[in-house]
Amino acid sequence: MCQLIYHPDYNKYDLGQDHPFNPRRVEMVLDLLKELGCLKQTVKPDALGPQDLLGVHGQDYVNAIELVSEGKSLPNIDNYGLGTIDNPIVKGMAESARLIAGGTVLGANLLLQNKADKILQLGGGFHHARKNMAEGFCIYNDLALAIKKMTDVGWHVVYIDLDVHHGDGVQEIFYSDENVMTISFHESGEYLFPGTGWIYELGKGMGRSLKLNLPLEPFTEGESYLEVFNGVVPPALDWFKPDALVVQAGADAHYSDPLADLMLTTQDFEKLYRRVIELADEKCKGKILFTFGGGYSLTATPRIWTILYLILMRLDFPKELPEAWRKRWENKIGKQLPHFLHDPNPAFDPIPKKPEIVNHNRELIHRILDAVVLDWL
Amino acid sequence: MLINEVMNKNVITVSPDTKLSDAYSLMNTKNIRHLPIVEGEKLVGVVTDRDLRLATSRLAKKPFDIETPIKNIMSHPVQFTHPSDPIEIATQIMRELKIGCMPVLENSKLVGIVTITDLLDALLLLTGLHQPSGRLDVRLSNRAGELARLTSIIAEKKVNIHSILTYPEKDRTIRLVLRVGTIEIKSLAEAICNAGFQVIWPVHIACVS
Repeated sequence: MCQLIYHPDYNKYDLGQDHPFNPRRVEMVLDLLKELGCLKQTVKPDALGPQDLLGVHGQDYVNAIELVSEGKSLPNIDNYGLGTIDNPIVKGMAESARLIAGGTVLGANLLLQNKADKILQLGGGFHHARKNMAEGFCIYNDLALAIKKMTDVGWHVVYIDLDVHHGDGVQEIFYSDENVMTISFHESGEYLFPGTGWIYELGKGMGRSLKLNLPLEPFTEGESYLEVFNGVVPPALDWFKPDALVVQAGADAHYSDPLADLMLTTQDFEKLYRRVIELADEKCKGKILFTFGGGYSLTATPRIWTILYLILMRLDFPKELPEAWRKRWENKIGKQLPHFLHDPNPAFDPIPKKPEIVNHNRELIHRILDAVVLDWL
Repeated sequence: MLINEVMNKNVITVSPDTKLSDAYSLMNTKNIRHLPIVEGEKLVGVVTDRDLRLATSRLAKKPFDIETPIKNIMSHPVQFTHPSDPIEIATQIMRELKIGCMPVLENSKLVGIVTITDLLDALLLLTGLHQPSGRLDVRLSNRAGELARLTSIIAEKKVNIHSILTYPEKDRTIRLVLRVGTIEIKSLAEAICNAGFQVIWPVHIACVS
């Protein structure tokens, strides 16, 4: 059974009108599901308290965030990555970030208590938040807090990061942790923020060979993405034997995303989600926790997350997107919305240099398996 | 960047009468490849692990005995550098002479050693990532004020610049790679493109010009 987690106050994590991390992305999903008549019961989480964050974040960092979020000023707040163009200081942001983190942690608890095997948290996915630094729209790392909840009772967790940006915060927090494997698929840091996620970042100490990075070439298409995914994830799960998967389902690898350069279509996302769920069923009794994440194309992201929802709920895809929904949101976002859940086929012109891109990505599979082979014996 | 900032300050040295075998095991235990040889306070020579291996190799015409004092095989006079020399000068000398290290002397006293590894570390520091950042690759025409014009656009957008790297291209243009503190690189690239710069990365930037 799949359990949905959501709280209407999630949308208070709003970094400003022109900021790409926009709560409308989730509102559009919910509104579409309502319009389709298939929005199921959600459970409301409670906000975490500041002290609940200390398993992952430093005391000074949490104090600083809570203080500026109340509207007080702190002289060296930029040392914590705040007050920047990506992470502006917004009143009340700490509380709403703690509420969202509460949702992801609730998801972990439901898995632990065996109350559900599949969880969809309709928000969250703040994978850039570091132990002591805000980064890339993120302040509190809800994913790490949820993973920690599970490893605290001895679970092995595999974290799969499908966001187009490297999951650097989660990786850093668990870099030497033997109970957490992180696997991040992203556009190469040579080109894209945050600039990390290289293949040689493999973890350290007891966490060695448990942190995997697949830096894909710009303009990678879905077929190549899935080839790398299928080349690396199944052997990793076979070896590590997780008790649960945590998946950051950022939608910004879509070809229309304004922040990045990968070329996945909605059809590719469907295949990817079905594959991840299939692997959870095969390797860890179906236990999987999905969060949202990046995804800044307002015409694509709501469709991609609706696809994820429909797959998890085992519902049929609608033939067309309801006109009422389209009209309502076209007015609000000032953009035309497609008539269908899936992208047109073909969705874009052929990519030049495609064979080089495919070959380069294929090499990644061999390079990463070669790098970990001695530790995976 | 100066030699002083990249050199090793704890230099391991030997005296001219040290046996080849002792010098060899010292290099092994300390995991180093270069040994300055000092007599009192005076630098008299340098020996590398390669010098040692070649001198004692069975393939050599007349191999040295491993008990030989090191002064018999050391290189001298020694090419050295000064703590306040810029690293690019040191790099140029090492490249020209094809040597792997330079002792650093101040007032004729050995105060450090700089090796190729230190210069690679310096390169990493100059080009590398130290903070989460996005990448901008721009082509500039080679004339005064262009860089200032570019960086003022970035400043207007209130974006922090983490690193700047430039290198010359064949057609007298300058390539500039900037790492800047934002995830949303494209709107910045558009503004730069609109100001008449050629943006290489991100590609396909639509601008009005």
